[in-house]
Amino acid sequence: MLPQRIKYCVLFCAACLTGCTGAIGGGGESAVNDSVAKSLCVVDTPIRRLTRFEYNNTVRDLLGDTTDPANVLPPEEEVAGFNNQAAALTSSDLLIELYMKVAEDVSARAVGKIGTLLADCDPALDGNDACALSFIEDFGARAFRRPLSQAEVERLKSVFDWAVNEPDLGRFEDGIQVVIEATLQSPFFLYRAELGAETPIEGDVVPFTSWEMATKLSYMLWNTMPDDALFAAAEADELRTPEQISAQASRMLDDDKARDLIRNFHTQWLLLTHLDSVTKDTGVYPAYDDSLRPLWKEEIQTFVEHVILEGDGSLRSLLTADYSFMNEELASFYGEDVLDSVTGPEFRRVQLDPDRRAGFLSSAGLMATHANANQSSPVFRGKFVREQLMCNTLPPPPNDLVIEPPELDPNKTTKEQFEEIGANPACAGCHTLMNPIGFIFEHYDGVGQWRDQQNGKSIDATGEVIQTDDIDGVYDGAVELADALAGSTQVQECVASQWFRFAYNRTVTQEDSCSVEQLNDVFRASNFNVKALLVALTQTNAFLYRRAVELEPDATGGGQ
Amino acid sequence: MKRIKRRAMLKGTIFGGTVAIGLPMLDAMLPRTGAAQTGTAPKRIVFWFTANGTRQDIWSPSANMDLNGHPLHAAMAPFSNKLIFLDGVDQDVAYDSIGDGHQTGMACVLTNAEILPGSLFCEGNCDAGNEQYVGWGGGQSVDQYIADEIAKDIFTKFKSLELGVQVRSSSVWSRMSYSAPDQPVPPREDPNQNFTDFFSDLDSDPFALQLIQRRRKSVLDAVMDDHAAFQNRLGYDDKQKLEKHLQSIRDLERRLDVTTNFGEACATPELSLPGGSFEQNDMYPVTGKAQMDMLVMALACDLTRVASLQWSRSVSGVRFNWVPQTYDEGHHGLSHYDDSDENAKADLLEINKWYSEQFAYLLGLMDGIQEGDNTLLDNTVVVWVNELGKGNSHTRRDIPFILAGGCQGYFRTGQHIDFGGEPHGKLLVSLTHAMDKPVNTFGVEQYSQGPLSGLT
Repeated sequence: MLPQRIKYCVLFCAACLTGCTGAIGGGGESAVNDSVAKSLCVVDTPIRRLTRFEYNNTVRDLLGDTTDPANVLPPEEEVAGFNNQAAALTSSDLLIELYMKVAEDVSARAVGKIGTLLADCDPALDGNDACALSFIEDFGARAFRRPLSQAEVERLKSVFDWAVNEPDLGRFEDGIQVVIEATLQSPFFLYRAELGAETPIEGDVVPFTSWEMATKLSYMLWNTMPDDALFAAAEADELRTPEQISAQASRMLDDDKARDLIRNFHTQWLLLTHLDSVTKDTGVYPAYDDSLRPLWKEEIQTFVEHVILEGDGSLRSLLTADYSFMNEELASFYGEDVLDSVTGPEFRRVQLDPDRRAGFLSSAGLMATHANANQSSPVFRGKFVREQLMCNTLPPPPNDLVIEPPELDPNKTTKEQFEEIGANPACAGCHTLMNPIGFIFEHYDGVGQWRDQQNGKSIDATGEVIQTDDIDGVYDGAVELADALAGSTQVQECVASQWFRFAYNRTVTQEDSCSVEQLNDVFRASNFNVKALLVALTQTNAFLYRRAVELEPDATGGGQ
Repeated sequence: MKRIKRRAMLKGTIFGGTVAIGLPMLDAMLPRTGAAQTGTAPKRIVFWFTANGTRQDIWSPSANMDLNGHPLHAAMAPFSNKLIFLDGVDQDVAYDSIGDGHQTGMACVLTNAEILPGSLFCEGNCDAGNEQYVGWGGGQSVDQYIADEIAKDIFTKFKSLELGVQVRSSSVWSRMSYSAPDQPVPPREDPNQNFTDFFSDLDSDPFALQLIQRRRKSVLDAVMDDHAAFQNRLGYDDKQKLEKHLQSIRDLERRLDVTTNFGEACATPELSLPGGSFEQNDMYPVTGKAQMDMLVMALACDLTRVASLQWSRSVSGVRFNWVPQTYDEGHHGLSHYDDSDENAKADLLEINKWYSEQFAYLLGLMDGIQEGDNTLLDNTVVVWVNELGKGNSHTRRDIPFILAGGCQGYFRTGQHIDFGGEPHGKLLVSLTHAMDKPVNTFGVEQYSQGPLSGLT
């Protein structure tokens, strides 16, 4: 039995080395014919429904509803590491039923403050119909993110009319309420349809209308609907040229709403959601308390947000900065690693011991997440670096391999124990990729606190990194490794591809090669400035154009 | 079926708050097109899922079906004459399918269909050189099939009800119900929301309810017009996506007319839950109990005839802090220890025993509801499924299937049968027969040639 497993593991892991490295995307096999689009790196842009996060932000901006009403919807399908991937977002009866109920709740709250909804129309003076029509046109255009057609206005007006003529309703507010209900359930609200302008620039390549571009920019950079300035630019048809678009992108990144983007992306990229379910053995880690989890998360999010939006914005700083953000409770948890004294519950910037901490990578939150309940985990930490920062894919152990994590041994360090396991040829194939990277983090225990010793022995935080594009070598401690990662082309390109997937809501395909190249070039030229990368994401052909929609000849469609 | 008394008060306490709902005037509540009862209670079917296999070595009952003293199933002893234990039923199709052990076990167990190719989920077992990705399940699941068939004859308030307890994220590892190939059905996980969705129609004012129905119809009509306009501008793939959405709206609108048709025991369940989020690990037992209470009442009230309760998901990592555990690990981790590890085996025993106790609780509720000469349990078949047989080997053979309730005498209960390696597709066929929606095969034909013999 066992020898079989060993053989399997070795074979399988040896394969994964060649299979994983440098493989950006590659999976897309959408049958693109020999179109102009293909030669220009232009692909289809599938419709995508709003995620719960985007829905919440959108009703906040549309109606001032800050209750996060979409949280009751079923969770998004999570693929390729992100929850906003167009191809994976499915529909279900439950989702549709809840869309209805959420729309009812939101609209009921909205008409509670009807005055704020009607800019300068007074039903008593101007009449119900006039005010209803002006509301429908104005609100409808903001909800659909484009002007309504005459038919759409009439459709919503007839819903309004139904309510005011319904004996048991009858009030003006009732009419407005059902208009909002219908709007929030419309596919034009729930889906982002970027179908392209009518006139191709060449062959089957079409640009987007300015209205569509406003929506693209806004959901990409803010995870919410366009603001007044974007709508105004769309109205003036000034979102056509790459220059106009990049100017808007730069403006948007200076807006507070960009914080949502930065936080949302890093929550997913750095697997911060896993932090919520961390549990620790307080017998082993008396310093641990569940109240630390939100603080750990807030530290990382505040830090990345600061570096990108207020700091120098560089990937290097994200990985190597010697400062962070903490409140008193968190600072006391970090102990002498924090060089400033902090009082009170507010987060503030603190200087860290540069020999001990570097960037987000050595933060207690990440270290604790990628650890076991009662000990650090070189495996999890190595896996995190490989997968999230180097874009390697390390599949889970084979189906039939029995995994036995080591018992705590009071006479050995964690590294010594894991070295014994790693030496087992059954596991070595894969684990030599992960464990030595994990060893480099051994100064951080299972809750991320610094240690110089374990079980009476000095910590050895050296580890050899192998099978990378450009940073093979022996490193001693996370500070040294972080510095190398910051200079690694593999890491830089990995970060760019993670942003690509997140921003474009899809995986990278072969047709994207010129767009990817362009992104990498700009990222490099900006000295790996993340803001510059975000602006660059609005300048690729993959973003600026799409293949024209192929309408079916007979419009009714087949199937069921 | 007798009617309940008028003006009965329904009470429940959810997460610290108290809910009290007056039952409506029944005459006004009678459905227009709905499930008018003519004296015979309907058949129902319930699927019950637990994850990561079981303790196969001790799972089977003794020959005389006496469950007293059984290490796992002692709690089910009072119902032993209403149970069938199925040994030797395998998920053969899972071995043909792409996907890892948990993926195939989960996506195939109710579909008997192979997983679709796709680029969504990385297969745990990536083979030589390639990263292998898979898509969603590749067939309609048997619960959805039966629900669709029933809907052709009669409208209940819900076509089917899928309930979950901490299923969490959405992936091929966490979905067992499919309305069609590639179309997973998410379970309802929030007990608060469920309470409202299931029972709020039991409003004291039927006229207000009718107004809500008129209003929703009016709104949904406009929404459907938008859909038609939108679809005209889309390419094929996008149009398919929207069509699914539109179909759900149509179905929702049709069901607006359906109101609750009370059974004798129909009343809002008494729910008493402490404060805190239903998503926290340690809320698992109370959340599960609330879901069971509501599920049974939903059946008693004939809100639906097809339901499921999914405890967690395949690869479940729930930590069973409320039963004795030696290792401080989640369920999946524990299920991976070698058979020689007595501590892990003891932990798994406690976990699976706890699930048996929950199953017994559900059966107790159902058996306590009288429907004419039968109990609700007698009118139902409850089907316990699992994606695996055993965790550490990921075997999808000898899945620990249990049937409870005879489905109005269709099944000959009170027995333990060893099928010696029959494909589980035949069990799915048996279930369609039990529910009077018989098919000859279900999913992959090769693995579903007729019903299992010996069950009836």
